[in-house]
Amino acid sequence: MKHVFVTGIGVISAIGNNCEENLSHLQKGKTGIGKAIHLDSNYAKLFPFGEVKLSTSALKSNLNIAQKGLTRTDLLAFTAVQEAIQKANLTAQEISSENTAFISASTIGGMCLTDQLYQDANSISKSKEYVKSYSVSAHALKIAENYQLKGTIDVINTACSSSLNAIMMGTRLIKSGRATRAIVGGTDALGKFTINGFNALQILSKNPCKPFDKYRDGLTLGEGAAYLILESEEVVGKKNLYAEILGYGNSNDAFHPSSLSEEAFGVVAAMNKALKRATLSPQKINYINTHGTATENNDTTELTGIKKIFGNYPAFNSTKSYTGHTLAASGAIETVFSIFSLQQQELYPSLNFETPISPFNQLPILKYQQHQNINYVMTNSFGFAGNCSSLIIGKPL
Amino acid sequence: MYYINACSTISHQGSFQNESWINELKIVTNNSKLITPNYKEFVDAADLRRMSKIIRMGIACSKDCIQQAEIDNPDAIIVGTGLGCLTDTEKFLHNTLTIEGLIPPTAFIQSTHNTIAGQISLALKNHQYNMTHTQNSLSFEHALMDGMLCLDEEKDTVLVGSADENIALMDELSKSFNWSEIENKLTSGASFFIVSNAKNNLTKVQLIDCFTVGLNDTNPKALITSFLAKNNLSLNDIDLVLFNSNGTLKLDIIQKEFNPISVLSYEHFCGYYFTNVAFGMHLATEILNKKKTSFITNNKPVHRILLYNNFNNKNIGLTLLQALEA
Repeated sequence: MKHVFVTGIGVISAIGNNCEENLSHLQKGKTGIGKAIHLDSNYAKLFPFGEVKLSTSALKSNLNIAQKGLTRTDLLAFTAVQEAIQKANLTAQEISSENTAFISASTIGGMCLTDQLYQDANSISKSKEYVKSYSVSAHALKIAENYQLKGTIDVINTACSSSLNAIMMGTRLIKSGRATRAIVGGTDALGKFTINGFNALQILSKNPCKPFDKYRDGLTLGEGAAYLILESEEVVGKKNLYAEILGYGNSNDAFHPSSLSEEAFGVVAAMNKALKRATLSPQKINYINTHGTATENNDTTELTGIKKIFGNYPAFNSTKSYTGHTLAASGAIETVFSIFSLQQQELYPSLNFETPISPFNQLPILKYQQHQNINYVMTNSFGFAGNCSSLIIGKPL
Repeated sequence: MYYINACSTISHQGSFQNESWINELKIVTNNSKLITPNYKEFVDAADLRRMSKIIRMGIACSKDCIQQAEIDNPDAIIVGTGLGCLTDTEKFLHNTLTIEGLIPPTAFIQSTHNTIAGQISLALKNHQYNMTHTQNSLSFEHALMDGMLCLDEEKDTVLVGSADENIALMDELSKSFNWSEIENKLTSGASFFIVSNAKNNLTKVQLIDCFTVGLNDTNPKALITSFLAKNNLSLNDIDLVLFNSNGTLKLDIIQKEFNPISVLSYEHFCGYYFTNVAFGMHLATEILNKKKTSFITNNKPVHRILLYNNFNNKNIGLTLLQALEA
């Protein structure tokens, strides 16, 4: 099987509009969660959010794109894709090659404009550009048009695990020889539809989320996008290699539509499959970037799953304490953060943690730690409908 | 090698658990109705109440497939859906705009596209690979390609399918999309398949390959020729092209384009929904498996069928099926 390397990364989240800004916040332990300014909703007064610190029009003017009707979801995606392509030094020819696949992910799509959508739909009046954006694949087609993509263009929606699955799909296309390069990742903007939804589920915290804390009381929603450029060993040449994709696992918990089983069936199976594919023993994993949403159900289940596989817990954190839960974008954003740990050989603190959850009594990483020996990192993403995924990346040899 | 060992479709044709449905094909009109099974035979009545049409169709077709293929549980569940769970999305959206105070969360949970594959895994108690692809008219092909990747890796038997549901709002919305070219009724449908890397006595046809172009800017015919060449075939080896009759893809144009190969629009028999190519794949499977030659000019035997899914000449999906004895 061919080796698959990451040759470019791009990210935009509540802690920065590019890789450098995101890295700097992680190193300083500085969260991006706070009062939302750009979100036009009464919820901005009720809950903190991990909002990207740019207005939709600023996002648009930062990009030099002529396309009309771009939603916030689209603009976040464009921003991160552009950065990833620049970092990988992809030529226009490489981007438009029929051997370059684009695998994206989104749960909200144009639903970040639900009000316009629904009112439009009922009156069939103006802003038809936005009505067309309803489909979650709309952002991918706009990117495809902008970059003249000719290869496979696919979008995955497995709720909160979507973009980790997009990375997995791109990797598999390359390993099988169906593509030589893939642009993979995901995007989601804050939107009333999802805020209403998580509020209906009563799992939104009134305070910034406290992953793995005994007194955690729910998640904080965020927004963002991250994309990675994956290339087959045959075409990487002398490029700067950020990481190698070593293992991936996907499993369904098959327990409940919106919560994970106490036994962590899906969580354990996903991590086990990823280890098996990477042919690594659990002891080799130096750090886990957890799903860590700070809901009652997720954090307990994830700790249960990790214990079942690892026995002794490796270093772990939840970077959702910086960005909030960015839904379909979270897997890709957290993979980029995992790449930072690999590249810099350092670990970033999990924020807002005070009291460990019994009976696990596990402390996440609490301090910024430099000069670590990090060779293998695991990233977890779990979603509604039981979708559990786990990815293992390693330092390129 | 990939083999289709079971198919199950809910459509306007009464295709569900009906061996002879291709003998009774009727063109879908504005008045024809989706013919649905008694879902209580597949889902517990209490669960059924909460399920929208798209989830019901997905579970019924999946269970039917598993029964037909005589397997306990597939090694993967992969679903393609163009627009996902519209009923629950609209329901939740409507509730948020009309209900003061706490809104019930069920419609929100069931609004995400992966609800179909998730509910199937729940119904089957299946912990295997579980994936949902959504890319407009190519969603089913991407699910199928994912299934083929799974079979190339370590899996033996995968459940691959698609489902889409129409809601009344879509009929209105479609007027504001660039969908004016859609001539067939907007409707719902689901088709699921058991695809395996091993042939057995239940195998219906061989799936040779599947390929998509997301943003085509060349002559589709050139794409088709190169797709066939990759599989060491040429247009002469194709006996029937099953296509979707949208916009510029009128029957007479396609006929001229592929002459002397026989062509047939599958979309006339299932109506329009984003993943209706899966209906086309079931139709192709039946034609090949039952050696149905009445669709073919000169009643020649039919060995190979090309499924040609073309939306606005931009999104193109190509799927190639072959009869077992060919």
